[in-house]
Parts: sequence; structure tokens; C-alpha cells
Amino acid sequence: MATNPAQARSDQTGRWQVARPRRPAHLALLALIFGGLAVYAWMVAAAAPFSRGALVGVVIPGAVVGIIASFRPPERIPPPAELDMMGMSYWMILLAAFFEWEASAWRDNSWPWHPSFTNLIDPLMGPHLVKTAAVLLWMLAGWALVRR
Amino acid sequence: MPPIPTRAITIAGFAVAVAAMFVLEILARRPGSRIPTVGQWLGYLMRPKIGRALVLAGWWWLGWHYFAR
Repeated sequence: MATNPAQARSDQTGRWQVARPRRPAHLALLALIFGGLAVYAWMVAAAAPFSRGALVGVVIPGAVVGIIASFRPPERIPPPAELDMMGMSYWMILLAAFFEWEASAWRDNSWPWHPSFTNLIDPLMGPHLVKTAAVLLWMLAGWALVRR
Repeated sequence: MPPIPTRAITIAGFAVAVAAMFVLEILARRPGSRIPTVGQWLGYLMRPKIGRALVLAGWWWLGWHYFAR
């Protein structure tokens, strides 16, 4: 018996999202937006830490996301009606362990011997390209949150 | 055997925690999994307006902390 592949995909119970076919104009618009965000991320990454430019660079995306979320929210992905407590407990344990580790590093305040997560991440973001990618990822995460 | 420096233990702790989160996300995406994905539990937290505001504020704080400071 022949089956409709699209129907078969939608029947899968996994949570990997299957990309929908998009029109060329839509793809071009997405590419344009992505390119604009990449250029913006490049500029933000070039700003010196603690400078006004760096602050403005993160305030603008925050304001844009806040305004969109408040006044023009996009079609949202429906949240689950409830969470499985056993499944969620795994996340809680990991998050608690991570933050406990971070809190102990912060409390010890001995950077060379017990560095905090920020102490470890900062040097990794030294190369401009890496910081640009991180800023871009942060902005895309903001958009993903608005859709939730 | 030389003593393992505290720094290496600290870095290993962070690496294990972050790697475990990636593994958990992959496990959550298997068919029939009872574990929620990050998107699902964040979506659940963001159902009330206050949850939505706090999650978005947390996202903004991360950007400020890592890119503006």
C-alpha cells in the first residue's frame, strides 16, 4: 500500500523537526535577514568590552525581541500541557550541578585555580570570528525564545 | 603520581556538565522519550507572562554578560 511520505513524517513521534519546503522568495528573504544579523554580530563583536558600543550592541537586540514579544508576537510553538516530572528531574539535576559548580567558583574567587564558567569562556571568545558566531547564536536563540 | 591541579578538576566538572546536557537533549529527541527537550521545558516555563519575561530577561543578561562586559 502506498503511503504519503509527508503524512508518514508527521506521524513520527520523535521531536527532530523536518524542514518544510519553502518558496525561493522566502528563502531569499531569510538569507537576507541572516546576512544582516551576521553583519550586526560582526560589528558587536568588534566593540571593546565595557564600551558604550558593546552595551548598545546588546541593548538593541534585547529591545527588538522585547517589543516583538510584547506587541507583535509571531505564531508560537504550542508548549506542552504538562511536563513529565521524572524526565524533567534529569534536567534539574544537571542544572543544579552546573550552577553549584559555578557558585563555588564564584565564592572561592580564585580565578587561576577554580575558574568560573565565564573565566573559561572569555578567552575562547578572543578571536573575532568566534565572538561573531556567539553573538549571532545569541540573537537566533532570542528569536527562538520569542516563538515559544 | 603528580597531584591533579584544582584547575583541571574545575574545567573537567564544567565539561562533564555541559556534555551531559547535550546528551540529555539528544535523548529527549528520541521517539517516545519522556524527557522534555530544552525548547519544551522553556516553552512550558514561558506559558505565564511572568515566566516569559523572566526567561527573556535571562537571555538578555547572558548577552550582556558575555558580549558587553
